[in-house]
Amino acid sequence: MTLHTPSRLARQLMLSSAIALSLAATVPVAAMAQDNETITIASANDITSLDPHMLDSNHPTGSVIWSIFDSLVRRAPDGSTEPRLATSWERIDDVTWRFNLREGVTFTNGEPFNAEAVKINMERMNTTPWATVQQLHDQTGLIEVNVVDDYTIELVTEAPTVNMLYWLAEAFIGAPQYLTDTAADKVASEPVGSGPYKLDSWNRDDRLTLVVNDTYWGDAPDAETVVFRVVPETSSRLNELRAGTADVIVDITPDTAGQADSDISEAVYVEGLRKMHMGINIEGEQPALKDIKVRQALNHAVDVDTIITALLDGKTVPIPSIVNPPNNNPDLAAFDYDPEKAKALLAEAGYADGFPLTIQYSTRFAGGKEVSEVVASYLQQVGIEPTVEAVELGQFRQMLSGSSTKGIYFMGWAALINPSVELVILTCGHVDNSSGYCNEEYDALVHEAAQTLDDDARLALEFEAQQTVWNDAPWLYMWRLPVVFGKANNITYDFRADNYVEPYLMTTE
Amino acid sequence: MSVLRRLIPGKRDMLGTIGAGILLFVALGAVLAPMIAPYDPTAISLLDRMQPPMWLEGGSLAHPLGTDNLGRDMLSRVIYGSRISLAVGVAAVIVGAAIGSTIGIVAGYFGGWVDSILSVVINAQLSFPFILLAIFILSTFGGGFWPVVLVLALGAWVNYARVVRGTVMSVRTQDYVHAAISVGVPTLRLLRTTVLPNTLSPIIVVASFSMAQAILAEAALSFLGVGVDGANPSWGVMLNDGRAYLQTAWWLTAMPGLAIAITVLGGNLCGDWLQDRFNPRIGN
Amino acid sequence: MFRFLIRRLAMAVIVLLIVSFTTFIVGHMTGDPVELIAPENATREAKEQLREYLGLNRPLLVQYTSYIGNALQGDLGFSFVQQAAVSDLIMERLPATLKLAFTGFILSLVIAVPLGIFIALNRNSVWDFLATSVAMIGQSAPNFWIGLMLIAFFAVHLKILPVSGYGGVSYIILPAITIALQSAARLTRLMRASMLEVLNADYVRTARSKGLRQRTVLWVHSFRNAMIPIVTMAGLELAELIGGAFITETIFAWPGVGRLAVNAVYQRDFPLVQGVVLFAATAFVVINLLVDLLYVLIDPRVKLS
Repeated sequence: MTLHTPSRLARQLMLSSAIALSLAATVPVAAMAQDNETITIASANDITSLDPHMLDSNHPTGSVIWSIFDSLVRRAPDGSTEPRLATSWERIDDVTWRFNLREGVTFTNGEPFNAEAVKINMERMNTTPWATVQQLHDQTGLIEVNVVDDYTIELVTEAPTVNMLYWLAEAFIGAPQYLTDTAADKVASEPVGSGPYKLDSWNRDDRLTLVVNDTYWGDAPDAETVVFRVVPETSSRLNELRAGTADVIVDITPDTAGQADSDISEAVYVEGLRKMHMGINIEGEQPALKDIKVRQALNHAVDVDTIITALLDGKTVPIPSIVNPPNNNPDLAAFDYDPEKAKALLAEAGYADGFPLTIQYSTRFAGGKEVSEVVASYLQQVGIEPTVEAVELGQFRQMLSGSSTKGIYFMGWAALINPSVELVILTCGHVDNSSGYCNEEYDALVHEAAQTLDDDARLALEFEAQQTVWNDAPWLYMWRLPVVFGKANNITYDFRADNYVEPYLMTTE
Repeated sequence: MSVLRRLIPGKRDMLGTIGAGILLFVALGAVLAPMIAPYDPTAISLLDRMQPPMWLEGGSLAHPLGTDNLGRDMLSRVIYGSRISLAVGVAAVIVGAAIGSTIGIVAGYFGGWVDSILSVVINAQLSFPFILLAIFILSTFGGGFWPVVLVLALGAWVNYARVVRGTVMSVRTQDYVHAAISVGVPTLRLLRTTVLPNTLSPIIVVASFSMAQAILAEAALSFLGVGVDGANPSWGVMLNDGRAYLQTAWWLTAMPGLAIAITVLGGNLCGDWLQDRFNPRIGN
Repeated sequence: MFRFLIRRLAMAVIVLLIVSFTTFIVGHMTGDPVELIAPENATREAKEQLREYLGLNRPLLVQYTSYIGNALQGDLGFSFVQQAAVSDLIMERLPATLKLAFTGFILSLVIAVPLGIFIALNRNSVWDFLATSVAMIGQSAPNFWIGLMLIAFFAVHLKILPVSGYGGVSYIILPAITIALQSAARLTRLMRASMLEVLNADYVRTARSKGLRQRTVLWVHSFRNAMIPIVTMAGLELAELIGGAFITETIFAWPGVGRLAVNAVYQRDFPLVQGVVLFAATAFVVINLLVDLLYVLIDPRVKLS
């Protein structure tokens, strides 16, 4: 094959006219064009690893991985599923899913994407150490990956599951040969994917730069370069946004968000999904917590609305159920603030004189200390003697998975829209069931729902389960964690409640 | 020149007095906190959040130093904070001095391999990045009053061991000690009657400096989130809590910091003064 | 001289062994790194597998000896959290730390040495009183607080310097001043005291009585001798700075070894913490050795054995 190449003279002519054109352009236009080519995203933490199967936090590590790698499907902000490397899919029986794969996709090192690549990636995900972090197999019960042909693959699970698409969205596919042949530290710092961007440079704890992947199968993103910067102090991130040196800032708290509004920038509030609560450890040091009346009393004793107004700038709402809308049982209502009722309930339970109670928090969530102190002061008013205690994060997580917190603890679970995943957390002995709650009736409902493929029947079961657990009050219900971003006015993007930021979907003007 | 020279002890004594005065003032504040603090330092009032100090616009006499992010009175918190900070300082000094002096006496008195081991340990300790070790230990075992005191003592005992060892070695060569040994005075009694009294003054000098150091270090540890965090917070914890509001409410950080600086200054001035008195060769 | 070196080197090795062992033991006492590495909803089996994979279930002594064995070959282990070699991570941050350390160090020397000499020569003047008071206060205020106040004033209020971060010259100003102030306060006081002591020493008095010119006395006799304690102290300060100005780097988001270490502690990244501690201790020991050698150059009277 011969390509017709323009003569040298012709090329020179083209070049000089290009220069003439660019000289003719007015300065402001040039400046704006320059500005639009790069999006700078400032976050509190650094990226930990670029290994596609080591994704441990949604942002910033997750956001970078979502930009460099593709998964089979994308989880849209509303929880629905969109095609990505898979173009379509169907359930062919209770335990088998078939995916048709996108053709003509290559990784940035030239390797082709096909069914074999998916299989190799999924095998790696199920190998230690990646298996600990990558949860596709654990959460879906995936046991078999069958290559049907080059662009068709079947996934077989142990039992029927409604969660396959949810977890596939976070199962990223890297260049198979490269993943197999390369040392772990190189994979983690020199990623090879098929996504809209590829890595340009990375200075840890400072900045990571992505450039457009010219061979990307989809629409080219607006910004040619994306810079992820680490700016730990909230006030610094706000300053950078206002000064125009950052276009998007992440991890800001509601009570400082007002400072994001300026001539060139604004705060964006997204309705949060993470359900914040004080977990009540039924198996903890305080036996009073075994009594359902005591747990309900705690819920009546704390004025959640006032806390939301004062500490969260009114930017969120109390949780309506342990399941996020739109799947929540609409018959449930938040416990009202009623200290007298709380005292009465305590008296009925035989604790009219109160009891000592430890409130624990960790650095996991910003504001944990303030919230714990405020809750303590409310509990004091109904006669309980609270002590507030900070716990180191590693120990805190250990306590959570062993249900060994002392009394009540500040926590938030399940920033997602998937009733099955949200409900299973409180079943007997579940690893995330940190309150030691165990109600067999509830368990039966949840397990039946998870295997019910008929939508209406499943919803009815889930509503009933929500009702049961809500009254049993294993949590002191609080609010949905408000998610706040700051962005430059010229950027348009549908920000997500789960904190992932997808620069390739941002448009600049 | 001669006039000035006569002024030297005067000036020295004056600075020493100022130092002692500061410490006394802070100690009194700590002891009398319930009587002088205008509010309960833990009383939360969400509606009065982040009021500025009284001399700024929006401030009021009701809260002379303003309120914090949960509407608690800053003045009361600073007063109560002195309890924790001073207690940590004093406890760290006592524990550190006890450990350090004992080791110093043993090493200085017996010499030989005991002494060699000590000097290796001292060297190892001095080449340790102390703050890192401290946050490492505290983040592993959890913070709190006694853990912090122990860690600070762990960092300070070397200073006592070194001075005490030196003093003991010089005391040991004195004639009366030799005489006592030769007539068979028991070792423990000998240490108590001859060695210990001589080591007291260097210990006091080291103690006053290391108390200042302990208060600073506690603040640093609390600042990194591994300090003494209770219902009544230390100054360092208050400083750390205020950090997020540096832009909107700088007084949350400025007030406890100022309290630390003043107290530590008191300790350092006292230390300088005592050092001059006990060891006039240095500095004069 | 040779014997001295051998002894110092042997000492250094013992010290480093103690340091590494202590860190190792503390790190493994409580707190499970797997809990921090694994996602919140990982299953117990998955965590157990990871523990095994990381070798965390082997006996402590076995883990330690294999660590030391590798360290001797320059391999400080692998950070699981960051998926990178520990030595690479440290080397990556070292330039930033060195830049800050030397800027702060030089700044503090430039302030402290001339100022200390000046006030020693003008003892009990107003300048002396002012400078000693300021140095005293500088030594008493927590330096992270000074850092925050500098940020509040220059960056938040005046908006003339960046709040934090790493970049052009403007970024280094505040952290360097924060470091320099504390160290300059200490060094000024020491310089003054040491200069006074030397000025009162017999040999200087003799020199003066022999009618040597004041300037000669000052520079030839006094200055050189007065520098000896300063060199020791400055050496210690520098060694500490190179090990990482932990808090200053954290406040100013300076991507150096200090911040690496603090983050590693919080993330319970054992290999990384051990690596940084060993690195900082080594820097300390080596610089001290150099300072000892420098003694010989400054003061030939110092006998080395």
